[in-house]
Amino acid sequence: MSLIKQLWLAIVTVLLVSFVGSLLVSISTSRSYIEQEVRIKNEDNATALALSMSQLDKDPVTLELLIAAQFDTGYYRQIVLRDPQGEVLIERSAPSYEGDVPRWFRQLVHFDVPEGSATIQDGWRQFGTLTLASQHSFAYAALWRSMLELAAWFALAGLLSLLLAWVLVRGIKKPLDRVVTQARDIGARRFTTSEEPKTLELRQLAQAMNTLSADVHHMLSQEGEKLDALRRHLQHDRITGALNREAFMGRLTAALTSDDVRASGVMAMVRVSQLEKLNQQLGHNATDALLKALASRLESLGKQWHVPLVGRLNGSDFAVMAPAAESPELLAKELTTLLQTLAADTHPQPTESPSEHSERPRLLAAVMPYASDDERGTLLATLDDALAEAESSVHTSVVVRDREYHSLFHTHAEWREALDAALAKGPQLAFFPVVDATGQIVHYECPARLELEQAWQSAGVFLPWVTRLGIEPALDMAVVKKALAELALTPTRTLGLNLSIASITSARFVNELRALLEATPLAQNLCFEVPAALDAQAVASLRSLSHALRPLGCQLGIEHVGAEFTRLADLHDMGLAYLKVDSSLIRRLDASSEQQAIVRGMATLCHSLGIQVIAEGVTTEAELTAAFQAGADGATGPGVRELH
Amino acid sequence: MSVRFVSRPLDASRRRFLAGLGGVAAALALGLPTPPAQAFDPDRLRQSMQRLYGQGGLRVLEEWFALLERLRGEEISVQLREVNDFFNRRVRWVDDINNWGSEDHWATPLETMGQGQGDCEDYSIAKYVTLKQLGVPGERLRMIYVRARIGRSQITQAHMVLGYYSTPDAEPLVLDNILPSITPASQRSDLDPLFSFNSDGLWAGGSTQSRADPLARLSRWRGVIERMQSQGFT
Repeated sequence: MSLIKQLWLAIVTVLLVSFVGSLLVSISTSRSYIEQEVRIKNEDNATALALSMSQLDKDPVTLELLIAAQFDTGYYRQIVLRDPQGEVLIERSAPSYEGDVPRWFRQLVHFDVPEGSATIQDGWRQFGTLTLASQHSFAYAALWRSMLELAAWFALAGLLSLLLAWVLVRGIKKPLDRVVTQARDIGARRFTTSEEPKTLELRQLAQAMNTLSADVHHMLSQEGEKLDALRRHLQHDRITGALNREAFMGRLTAALTSDDVRASGVMAMVRVSQLEKLNQQLGHNATDALLKALASRLESLGKQWHVPLVGRLNGSDFAVMAPAAESPELLAKELTTLLQTLAADTHPQPTESPSEHSERPRLLAAVMPYASDDERGTLLATLDDALAEAESSVHTSVVVRDREYHSLFHTHAEWREALDAALAKGPQLAFFPVVDATGQIVHYECPARLELEQAWQSAGVFLPWVTRLGIEPALDMAVVKKALAELALTPTRTLGLNLSIASITSARFVNELRALLEATPLAQNLCFEVPAALDAQAVASLRSLSHALRPLGCQLGIEHVGAEFTRLADLHDMGLAYLKVDSSLIRRLDASSEQQAIVRGMATLCHSLGIQVIAEGVTTEAELTAAFQAGADGATGPGVRELH
Repeated sequence: MSVRFVSRPLDASRRRFLAGLGGVAAALALGLPTPPAQAFDPDRLRQSMQRLYGQGGLRVLEEWFALLERLRGEEISVQLREVNDFFNRRVRWVDDINNWGSEDHWATPLETMGQGQGDCEDYSIAKYVTLKQLGVPGERLRMIYVRARIGRSQITQAHMVLGYYSTPDAEPLVLDNILPSITPASQRSDLDPLFSFNSDGLWAGGSTQSRADPLARLSRWRGVIERMQSQGFT
């Protein structure tokens, strides 16, 4: 029984017990008091009457008159005079008064009053015995009335105390519910915090749990930082903070082969021309500062579409991948401005030998679009070639290679129309298995396919356009509906669906999704995945999404986690089911003990929060083995697909 | 004894007597339970007597026990005579105010025997209780308030005697402490009966035989009965 119910029960019981108790005590006290009074009256009156009769002549008329006078003016039920043999000489009696007292009450109370009796003396002889009983029916009425009054008072008092109790219980119930929810969250390793209740005991409990959550958060942040430091050391260039060549290539490959928004966009290559010379002119520190500034500014390129990726390919060359960027011209323009301001900001120091002509640094760039299934090598070679062109040119510093771009449609309007039609027709789903260490399928990743130009196109083709046109919620909703339809056919499967950030931040989408899922028991066969690139707003949205979907049995996961592990600490109260480690950390995992250390650290961290870790983009069996050895709970990728 | 009795101021005595009447009358209807053959606890009586009056009292008590033992099964006339004589001989008449320090104290038989002195009602109560112990039916015994004329004078005194009624409408035999011999009432022209009571009919309802009865303390007659119970008469 719940505490609140017990509390109510206790309150009602106390009220009832005090009511019944005081009623009984009051009735029984009144009853015995009345009995005593009537008894005394009976005895005293009998004695007094007998005493006065003893003094008189024993003339029957006088005696009868005396008894009649006593009976008529007093309150008697019966007065009887008997001679010593017990024969009745004179008798006066009246019916008892019933009043409006219920019979059951009379039977319950039932006054038991002995008659008063006294002997009348006639000289030395006994003349007779007088017995006398007073009228006590009035007492029933008095008792009945006082009981009704008491009951009315108690009803009023009970009502008031119930009202008071209701306020009290409500005051306890709310914070109690919060504390219970928090305790349950912590039990499920969601380290939430809650508002501290006013009730002392609950407050202490909430404080303790909040402290625990804060400690966990702190611990996670620290561990995340350590992991991130390790990953930075492994993947990032020490001077500029950009990705190193190997890491960038890994990410590029992953993007090109991926089935999501990263699969197409614009790539750029930036070169600091004559770095050696610049180094001599500016000095090491200034050159490093320049490179660092360049790398950090490049990171803002194409941010309006998607988070860009910046890598340092060698000493002077940087590569920028701007997924979902719309046109190379736009990016080229942006890049030109960027490079010009940077060059202008860099003031060469006056050199010691004035004969040497000091120059501003020359920054060159090449831009070209990329699309899924492009060859990485070809891409880079084309960009390299374009850079060479820029280097030889005096006027232009940014060269655009708008290669023959195989695009289905050419204008926004065309894309919009085609996508609307395809969505109306409905998407198809691909099924990519995620397996655990024993080879069992955990769930299927289900990227969408849309029919465009009479062919089913993979997500890499249309997703950038879906993003640009802002119709991600519509696509995601269509995918969820399709997945539910698939589940209706094979209800044993568990399907993993991608949700875009735009979708989860849309309150309308979340409401619609919840309404859709509440209507079906298949909801518990769904997992929803959100990309790892979450800003603060997206984290808040994800939290409310998790809150909305958890009661329905849906799982929630994060995909492409490859950096910024400190963010994990913010997700500690989310109740995530799993986390997918980006393929850039999994690629050649078997060969790198540092990568293994990172994956192992992530696995440990996640397991402590009850989160499973899944390795993305596994290509070889060696990687698969290494992933499971590092503590991953599942794996997916082309290598896994081949095995199944 | 009787001399001293006569010498008392009459009006004071009467007032006192009448004052007690109301309480007695109330208690009258309550009556005493008709005791069984041996309705007392000898050991408790001995303890009470030892505690209250010491060896002197104990001696009288043992004599009383012996009396009861001797008279059990005897004829009623013998019982009446012996009991009357027992108390008339052993108890010296004294005014309550001298004996107990208060007017009209009603003593239990044990107190009367322990003190060795008592008022007229103390004699009557002691005789009443003793005769009931001997199995005399309660309804035959009545304590009677009488107006006593002393000698041939016109001086009267409030007094109490015990009457024995062989039948309810018979003329009673009078057990008195002024005149030690038992005589039929008609021969006692010096006594003028006023009112009588006994403990019959008391607790007729059967439910109020309780020592904790708050009424007991309000009535002199009931007060004696309660004290008797606490001293070992049951």
